[in-house]
Amino acid sequence: MTSSSNPPSASDAGRHPFLQGLSKHRGAPPTAVVIFGASGDLTARKLIPAVYNLAYDNLLPADFFLVGFGRKEIPDAEFRNLAGAAVKEFSRRELKDEVWKRVAEHTSYVAGAYDDKAAFDRLAAHIKEIEKGVGREVQSLFYISTPPSVFEPILKNLGASGLAERYNGKGHQSKVVIEKPFGRDLASAQELNATLRSVFAETQVYRIDHYLGKETVQDLLVQRFANAIFEPLWNRNFIDSVQITVGEDLGVGTRAGYYEQSGCLRDMIQNHTMQLLTLTAMEPPVSLDAEGVRDEKVKVLKAIQPLALGPSGDVARAQYAAGLIGGKPVPGYLQEAGISAQSATETYAAMRLSINNWRWQGVPFYLRSGKRLPRRVSEIAVQFKRPPGTLFAAEDGRFDLAANTLSFQIQPDEGLSLILNGKIPGLETRMQPVKMSFRYATTFGSNTPEAYERLVLDAMIGDGTLFIRGDETEASWKLCTPVLDFWREQGRNGMESYPAGSWGPAGADALLAKNNHVWRQP
Amino acid sequence: MNKQEIFEALPGLEVPVGSISRGLAQMWGESAAHGRPAPAAEDSKAIQVNFVLLLGLRTTTADAVRQFETAVKFSRRHPSRVVVLCPLPDEAGAKEIRAKVYGECTIGRTKEDTRCCEFVMLCYPASLRTFLENQVSVCLSTDLPLYFWAHGFYSSARMADYNYLMTRSKRMLIDSATAPADALSFPWPRPEAVCDLAHARLLPVRQSLGQFLSRYPMDALCGDLRTVTVTHGSAHPAEARVLLGWVKERMDRCAGNRADYLLKAPEGVPAESLSLIFGYAGKKEFSWKADFKKSHALFEADLGSGRTLLPAAVSLLPAENALSEAMFF
Repeated sequence: MTSSSNPPSASDAGRHPFLQGLSKHRGAPPTAVVIFGASGDLTARKLIPAVYNLAYDNLLPADFFLVGFGRKEIPDAEFRNLAGAAVKEFSRRELKDEVWKRVAEHTSYVAGAYDDKAAFDRLAAHIKEIEKGVGREVQSLFYISTPPSVFEPILKNLGASGLAERYNGKGHQSKVVIEKPFGRDLASAQELNATLRSVFAETQVYRIDHYLGKETVQDLLVQRFANAIFEPLWNRNFIDSVQITVGEDLGVGTRAGYYEQSGCLRDMIQNHTMQLLTLTAMEPPVSLDAEGVRDEKVKVLKAIQPLALGPSGDVARAQYAAGLIGGKPVPGYLQEAGISAQSATETYAAMRLSINNWRWQGVPFYLRSGKRLPRRVSEIAVQFKRPPGTLFAAEDGRFDLAANTLSFQIQPDEGLSLILNGKIPGLETRMQPVKMSFRYATTFGSNTPEAYERLVLDAMIGDGTLFIRGDETEASWKLCTPVLDFWREQGRNGMESYPAGSWGPAGADALLAKNNHVWRQP
Repeated sequence: MNKQEIFEALPGLEVPVGSISRGLAQMWGESAAHGRPAPAAEDSKAIQVNFVLLLGLRTTTADAVRQFETAVKFSRRHPSRVVVLCPLPDEAGAKEIRAKVYGECTIGRTKEDTRCCEFVMLCYPASLRTFLENQVSVCLSTDLPLYFWAHGFYSSARMADYNYLMTRSKRMLIDSATAPADALSFPWPRPEAVCDLAHARLLPVRQSLGQFLSRYPMDALCGDLRTVTVTHGSAHPAEARVLLGWVKERMDRCAGNRADYLLKAPEGVPAESLSLIFGYAGKKEFSWKADFKKSHALFEADLGSGRTLLPAAVSLLPAENALSEAMFF
């Protein structure tokens, strides 16, 4: 009978006997999560609701503590009230008093400047006090949810106060989670990594890209490596091209200041889109542990050929012009509040990548992302080569033979679909593409855990699989930085425009036209 | 008791056994016609699992309705094709198999999040059980995994009638709280596939204890250990037995551990209580005391590194969640 009498499984080897037989996610050690930027938007919208939902699902240890850290002076009680209000407003589940009470009882706040060592000493004393209260060693998880300008002082003070090195070498050693951007080019990414490594070992660092916490992104690996019908075809012999789209229908909104300094390549392509690319193209890892997966992702990034720049190159950029979104007129990027009329910041970027390895030689990977596209959509579309056309190659159009396309919808309408060719019923042999769909919501329900719930818990249990390693960020920046440098030199030269509500500029179409491909309109 | 009462008490529309598929289609058609949610054709692909629930001869009508409701709740989360088997004793005099169909859709947060489950209830005299295998097979969704929950059966040996389910199921679920005494030691055809729902219900307890005790090295837990005592109220004898076995299996990994393992059910303790106490020769101590009625537990420990007093929330998994746990994990 499968119960306590079973011998430990291979995945349990090395675990404490009292954790064996439990999912690794049910074995989080006593933890204090310290949020830097505790009064920020991300904390309210994502982090506090994630903690609440983990408590709701009984996935937090009984000795879990939440500590806010920020520049504002906020009494503990007020921070608890703010946190409770955030749960009410943003949690996927309604606030249940008995669940929230358990979290709130262990929630506190420490005020201080990020460059004030004394404030970090106070934080260290506060964590020691917590430990004394529970009578056991407590893991510290530092979540840096601040603008990048203060990453460095926070990291340095975590080091100087001794907080970074608590219980080093043990499973419950201190850990740090940082939010993107991980630099704004290769040099700054290297600098950030150097600062991180001066304080923390790489195994203590969790660089978060919330895309990796999405169920559909994780499902990509399952679909690839757990289905015998796909993996044998996943190479240059059968795949014609791959398109990855991360589109938004929103404009720049109130983020003009940030966006002008960032642009689409930094904001979306270098991180989210590249992560989707690596998971699509990577070789099977030797195991599903963090290093096995991340090693393979880095190999893919390193195999991507440098991009050709200039006319007829591998990249396109554009800004949205006035147009229609949802039937309503919207202004162009240069007319948005806070945007300079001479802005050279791209709101759309597309690129054609060649991966120079055995599996992908000759298969173009097309990446695009943009604001003010017709709809919010993230998808990976794998287009297979057509079968030899000897049987169904009549030139009179009787045979509408479509390329088989497997598309993963990352968001919204999470799921996947496969285009097959089928016979139209009737005496004549006529064909038509038909679509087979699998939708997460229909099969598993839509109230699935948010990406941040999974990622916060993964960091607590020390599983870095869904986080980005330092060399991954640098490999990605190494590819993107020459493009950014080139665009900076060009200023507005070569900047195209596309009407808001369209799928992008003509230059992006030209990237695909060379190979007789066209962009999908997902 | 007239055992057909169970079949009568379960909800659904009686249909001829030869027209179950048509009956299901008609049921959904009527649902849609009355404006109730019903699956569009493509949504029928959403079924995840086949699930057979046997309501054995020990099952009372009220109990059957309760287990059926648990299966419905489970199916709302995991869209299933459920076949409910309602056997009749030979002396009931029935000569034919009867069938009922039932279905419901749950609308989630979005309109795409509409998940539907389908139930087929079969009521049959024991004499016709040799024909049952084929009848069940046509009710299940081809190629999807099969799970078998055997509830309310008198004797493990008589379960041989359902060998075809026990050998094909990914998991066979029983509940040692209600199963006959020999169920835990019975030579089931695939013992590795048999899961005890009492063990699944204890997941939050095992997790809470695991998180707490795993902070101590096993030497600290086992050294000088003399007794491990699980005390329970009247509502949880099965959970107490499973908990004691779970702790023993872990403590037995310590070389030289010779502790006594005791199960106690003293009078006067609250029905919903469960506790675990380690008795040591020296000054060390550990206790965990839970009251499920109050959803509250208290750890008290001094295992050589200082005294800890830690209140914690605790509950047993609800029945439908215990089913998911036993099936999928």
